[in-house]
Amino acid sequence: MTAETAQKFEALEAQARRLMAVFRAAGYEHVAPSIIQPAGLFLDVVGESLRARTYVFTDPDGEELCLRPDLTVPTCRLHLERHADGNVPARYCYNGSAFRFQPGGVTHAHPREFRQAGIESFAAADREEADASVLALIVGALREAGLAELQLRIGDLGLFTALLDALAMPERWRRRLRHQFWRPEAFRAELARLTSSEALQVQGLPRAIADRLDPGNPLEAQGLVEAYLDQTGVELIGTRTSAEIAERLIAEAADARETPLAPDKAALIESYTAVRAPAREAAARLAALTRPHKVDLAAPLAAFSRRLDLLQAAGVDTANAAFSAEFGRNLEYYTGFVFELVAPQLGARSPVAGGGRYDSLLANVGAPGDVPAVGSCIHTERLLAMLEGRAT
Amino acid sequence: MSDKLILALPSKGRLMEQCADALAKAGLVVTKTGAARGYKGEIEGLADVEVNFVSASEIAQFLKTGAAHLGITGEDLVREAIPDCEQRVTFLAPCGFGRADVVTAVPACWIDVRRMSDLEEMALTYRRVHGRRVRVATKYLNLTRRFFTQKGVTGYRIVESLGATEGAPAAGLSELVVDITTTGATLRANGLKVLEDGVILRSQANLISSKTARWSPALRALERQIAARLTA
Repeated sequence: MTAETAQKFEALEAQARRLMAVFRAAGYEHVAPSIIQPAGLFLDVVGESLRARTYVFTDPDGEELCLRPDLTVPTCRLHLERHADGNVPARYCYNGSAFRFQPGGVTHAHPREFRQAGIESFAAADREEADASVLALIVGALREAGLAELQLRIGDLGLFTALLDALAMPERWRRRLRHQFWRPEAFRAELARLTSSEALQVQGLPRAIADRLDPGNPLEAQGLVEAYLDQTGVELIGTRTSAEIAERLIAEAADARETPLAPDKAALIESYTAVRAPAREAAARLAALTRPHKVDLAAPLAAFSRRLDLLQAAGVDTANAAFSAEFGRNLEYYTGFVFELVAPQLGARSPVAGGGRYDSLLANVGAPGDVPAVGSCIHTERLLAMLEGRAT
Repeated sequence: MSDKLILALPSKGRLMEQCADALAKAGLVVTKTGAARGYKGEIEGLADVEVNFVSASEIAQFLKTGAAHLGITGEDLVREAIPDCEQRVTFLAPCGFGRADVVTAVPACWIDVRRMSDLEEMALTYRRVHGRRVRVATKYLNLTRRFFTQKGVTGYRIVESLGATEGAPAAGLSELVVDITTTGATLRANGLKVLEDGVILRSQANLISSKTARWSPALRALERQIAARLTA
């Protein structure tokens, strides 16, 4: 792409000053994390799907580095440098470049080098309050910049987690379903597997082990694995231990003896993921969906409604917001409330701003445990294009 | 711009020898020429063909950018180097040599991991226990990503490996590999096994045509002539 013109640079700078003034006035500390980040840690956190879009390079010392593909992980690292256990309330704002390879080619809406202006709120105990105040501040900043007409789309992964928790099934099944939530095809396949006792049978495992595995006795299972490897002359190599191999075999054996998920419960999970409704009607819709199954989602739905009330009170128009149970972001690190602000001119593939809750991200970056965290950022080039009426 | 047909051939190793043999058998005798001795050549009787000898992986780049009209190299290298390769090149004919399968291989001691779906589940547990993602050593970054995505495997991380990839798990540098194999012997010797549905690509050397090169009717006629002789 050609160099950015001085005029556009000035316009972006002026816009950033307005956005950052709003963030700072709300008590967010302006920080500037490094552009160059250690590739290893970063990529371990964000995964291969984003890595494929990250500029990774090796410096003359042989160290693997990357140009940050977003500012959230660098801000987490900055927070942990200050507070090693992460669990100290802090609010940060930033405006800076991020870099992503664009597989479909570089366009105005999808540049490979773009600036994010955003906020992150860490360790706030009241989650709904923090969710609402972050989104309200982003909406306020966009308004201050001059953009008012935006469609708000929301989702809530916490509701999905609560639904799974309310249904009787082994914890490892819940973990798998949560994990596959982002991939509709794999998700449906897993759901189908869990409802079929045939599909749950252990396949392809040597009988010598399969018949003798006792889910209640991990130590014995480990012995079985070691004896089997010994007999067959297979060496135990690599970083996984025989105990880890035994643990998964036990889970397989346990699955085979488990009562499959009832078809109506699987259907409930399927129909949950299909729910799309105006945000204000979503809670009632979900309550109606789950009631016949005697699934009680009262507490998480109350939290959902409270968040909407807080948003409304903070000046966000929730009457026109759209809820989608399946609404997700490509980044797997979100764990709760998620949202996007979409401009009709740019379309849903190019949101002007987005964000959500990611309570396990700080732990993945190095904190000893989960830390409540919610953040959001504005795609500043898209915002400017909107304001200048260039977007089509 | 020269109006010659540029044919890119491997410049070294077994692939170079096999290429020369196959071309000779097809009646296309390649001789090296010129000042840049060893890197340019011509084909007897085909004055409008210029041969460039480059490394097998560079041939993929030549075809991608159109610096060569035709090339002979491994399908694996082309599919790795050109993500949208159907738009950029045409595979004209398999050559019958340079066979290698690109496969997903894990330690043979992982008796709990037999299929790609087991891998995804194992990756989930691994991250919980070890605090980091399962590492896949490979030089095939793009092929691996595409195949793993297609199989719904996400909880991994690639570590780039440019040689002796099969030794990475035993050395503790990765947990599994995506590597090429012909008989599987090297993998077995390193304590690895191929997953049941872990074959990514059955590759061999191909005669490949670039869609981005500058073609004229005369060059197309030459292309047909070379392809016909090679497949005869």
